[in-house]
Amino acid sequence: MFNNLFKKLFNKIEIHTIRTKLIISFLIIGLLPILLSGLLSFNIYRGAINDRISAYSQEMVNRMERDLEDYISEIETFLSREQDFYINQFIKLTQANDFRNNRKYAFRIWEDFNNLKQMKPGLEDIAITFQDGRRISSYGTYNIDLENFRARMYSDSSGDISFTSPYTNYLQQEVITIVSSYYPEIAEENVLISADIDLDVLANLTDFNLGEKSYFLIADQNGDIIYHPNQELIGERSLLYNAGFPDRKLNLNGEQYILTSTFSYATGWYIISMASADEVEAELNYITDITLYMTLVVLLIIILLTIYLSSSLSRPIQKLQELTHRASENDLSVKIDTSGNDEIAELGQSFNKMIRRINKLMEQNVREQKLLRKLEMESLDNQIKPHFIYNTLDLIIGLLENKDFDRATHMVEALGKFFRLSLSHGKEMVLIRNEIKHVKNYLFIQQFRHGEEYEYIIDVEDHEIMDKHIPKLILQPIVENAIYHGLLPSEKKGLVIVKGYRENKNIYFKIVDNGVGIPAAKVDEINKILTGRLETDDQQKYFGLRNVDQRLKLMYGGSSGLRVESVEGEKTTVIIRIDQRGGN
Amino acid sequence: MSGVKNLFAQKNRFLFVLILIIILTAPLTSAVEAENIQANEDDKEITIAYVPRSLDNPIFLDAFEHAQEKAIDLGINIEWVAPFVYNEEAQIKIIESLIARKVDGMVVSVNNTPGYIDVINRAVEAGIAVATFDADAPDSRRIFHIGINNYEAGRVTAEGLLTVLENKNIDYNQQEKNLDTMIMTGVRGALNLDSRIEGFLDTVEATNIRVQDIVENQDSVNLSVELLEQYLQQNPEIDIIFFVGGWPFYVPAEALPNFQQWSKNGGVAVGIDIFYDALLLQERGLLQYLVGQDMATMGSKGLSTLYNYIKYGAEPREYIETGVEVADDDNLERLLQTHRPWRVK
Repeated sequence: MFNNLFKKLFNKIEIHTIRTKLIISFLIIGLLPILLSGLLSFNIYRGAINDRISAYSQEMVNRMERDLEDYISEIETFLSREQDFYINQFIKLTQANDFRNNRKYAFRIWEDFNNLKQMKPGLEDIAITFQDGRRISSYGTYNIDLENFRARMYSDSSGDISFTSPYTNYLQQEVITIVSSYYPEIAEENVLISADIDLDVLANLTDFNLGEKSYFLIADQNGDIIYHPNQELIGERSLLYNAGFPDRKLNLNGEQYILTSTFSYATGWYIISMASADEVEAELNYITDITLYMTLVVLLIIILLTIYLSSSLSRPIQKLQELTHRASENDLSVKIDTSGNDEIAELGQSFNKMIRRINKLMEQNVREQKLLRKLEMESLDNQIKPHFIYNTLDLIIGLLENKDFDRATHMVEALGKFFRLSLSHGKEMVLIRNEIKHVKNYLFIQQFRHGEEYEYIIDVEDHEIMDKHIPKLILQPIVENAIYHGLLPSEKKGLVIVKGYRENKNIYFKIVDNGVGIPAAKVDEINKILTGRLETDDQQKYFGLRNVDQRLKLMYGGSSGLRVESVEGEKTTVIIRIDQRGGN
Repeated sequence: MSGVKNLFAQKNRFLFVLILIIILTAPLTSAVEAENIQANEDDKEITIAYVPRSLDNPIFLDAFEHAQEKAIDLGINIEWVAPFVYNEEAQIKIIESLIARKVDGMVVSVNNTPGYIDVINRAVEAGIAVATFDADAPDSRRIFHIGINNYEAGRVTAEGLLTVLENKNIDYNQQEKNLDTMIMTGVRGALNLDSRIEGFLDTVEATNIRVQDIVENQDSVNLSVELLEQYLQQNPEIDIIFFVGGWPFYVPAEALPNFQQWSKNGGVAVGIDIFYDALLLQERGLLQYLVGQDMATMGSKGLSTLYNYIKYGAEPREYIETGVEVADDDNLERLLQTHRPWRVK
């Protein structure tokens, strides 16, 4: 069923035509390498991009870790300052409630802290906090809930520096605070010196473009979120936390992400990159599209080229096929206009040559056929000689007068057969069997006419040749020559032998008579005329021999024909050679 | 029947006495509850925040000092918060943070502009008592303003200028020649500064004193010094400078070479704000007449007034004037002894 379907389909698109085959071949040859190389390149590139993305994500979090640690380290250096005169004086005078003398130190501290803020982006506030919650910062002096503040603090690995979890500071900014203790030499009370850091600035210390869906987050050792672009999640335990943040690909809220993380020992924080797989693969999709478009463009070019090339190649072939078809329909006037020197042009030239040759052969054939008919007619004319008929009929009358009815009957019968076989219903070719019968009838009649002055022997060794066809009236003219020119002029008892045999796929007939023979010069002349080596203007000269020879040559080619051998005064042999391979 | 009547009479008497006891004791119970509530409110520590225009202007330090001292006396928390350099947006953000932290009251130095009016009104709506000091926003719902009469300060400064001109034999009524004047102010729109300018200009209206330029220093001490020096380099022929506030007076005379040269060439400078460094410039002859405002009172009295309003509901007067003092050749030596150097610049 499918085979039929395919056949119908192929027939519909004329897949059997050279043009279609060429198109399909060119497409396969052209497209397969492109598709294979495109697919291979795409896969290699895809792998390279994936590797690059992983490396890029890792590099990002590593760089972010370094930048973060550098940033925090600078803050820590400032917080871990040695004794500061202005701070010490401020602490001492604050404890003594000496506001008059303290105001210039307050002013200096405000100025100092604001200068530091200007120098360090992301530093929102710097503050000194007393044990009772009083605080001097870059924004002035105010009070905080120290107990609440301490509850948010946790120490780093060294224990010298503490961090707070994210919270809203005095100016309602989302910050984390780095805290260090300060022990003034001149006062009993130690204070806290702290720096508020803007979470957004902290997360954007390293300027990376992650994409719209991708993001960074920072979490502490417990997985509690310190920074997240969704501020509502800040302070919450991260859902991604799994005894750390191992690198992996994961699904979050229906989105695929590539999680890459690193741990900062200086801060005790995890820096986590969440790269959106969609965005990462957007580049891949872009490359896929480019590959697809390029393939389509190349495909279009190949198709156009294929159509052009196949048309160029198949058009002369189609023309050739059409002209060949016309030639096969007997239109031999066709001719291909060939240009160029390629194989198809050569084929066209050969076709033209072939058509010319066919035309020539046709003309030759017509000529030969005409000649053959003429020779045949001449041969027939030659047989129906009035003299032969009258004599034979007179002979029959004589037999009847002598009341020799049996022999008369035989003679009439033989004469009738003779003419019937001569005509052969108009057929050109007759069985050798019939040709032999024809010769026998002729010899029977002639033997009777000539008073049985000679004998004849018909000897056909190979009976298989009896069923072969040969042109009619081949043997009889030769036998007639043997009787009239060989035996009758001789005074001795005559003998005619007709021998038929086959040799090397040739059929040979030998007509031998023991008559007067032919002089050697004449034999030579006859053979030369028969082989065409000698021309003669006398059409009646050696008419019988030439007629048979020409007919055989016309029918079987130049290798067939007659040859005469003779020993003067002894015998004459006419050898008929029929080369069946050269037959029409 | 009479027995029943007596029984009924006894029962009624008992009920009457019971009701009487309840009626008499009820107010006492309510009074005790009210007293307990009041005690709880008393226990709550009051926090009042001062919001000066900026931290970098030392003129406010007197107020800062005296507000802190007063807070100790009153037993309340005082906060002193502002952007270091004046910036309206940053100052409003600080006021918003005070609203978020639900302080009990705030005393702010602001402009009478929509941004400030809005944030003050939002604070009042949040139940925070708001007053202004130094610079007022009368279109807001603030309770009161404490400060000088700024128009009067401008007028007094102008009169002092005329006296200085007379002493220098400079004819300020001469019609042929005007006395070109530059006015340096903080920002236009600050009601206190604009009022001072108005008082000054009204006073000199009939003279040949003509204002050529008004320079705004954005309430920045550093910018004021820079602008003053630049201006005098480009306009050395200016005759008079009126400093609406004392921004450039915090630096020593050596830091103001163009100003020194201009004074030496006969330029006359008067201004508002008296503090030690300004007096030193006056002593060096760079300033001829100063009018001072009492920032200390703004700090202490502003705080105590707002405290009384919060604590006891004591309605203050809408305007509390702190008065002005002048510094001229006659009292300069004495003032130098009474004012102490701040040494912040």
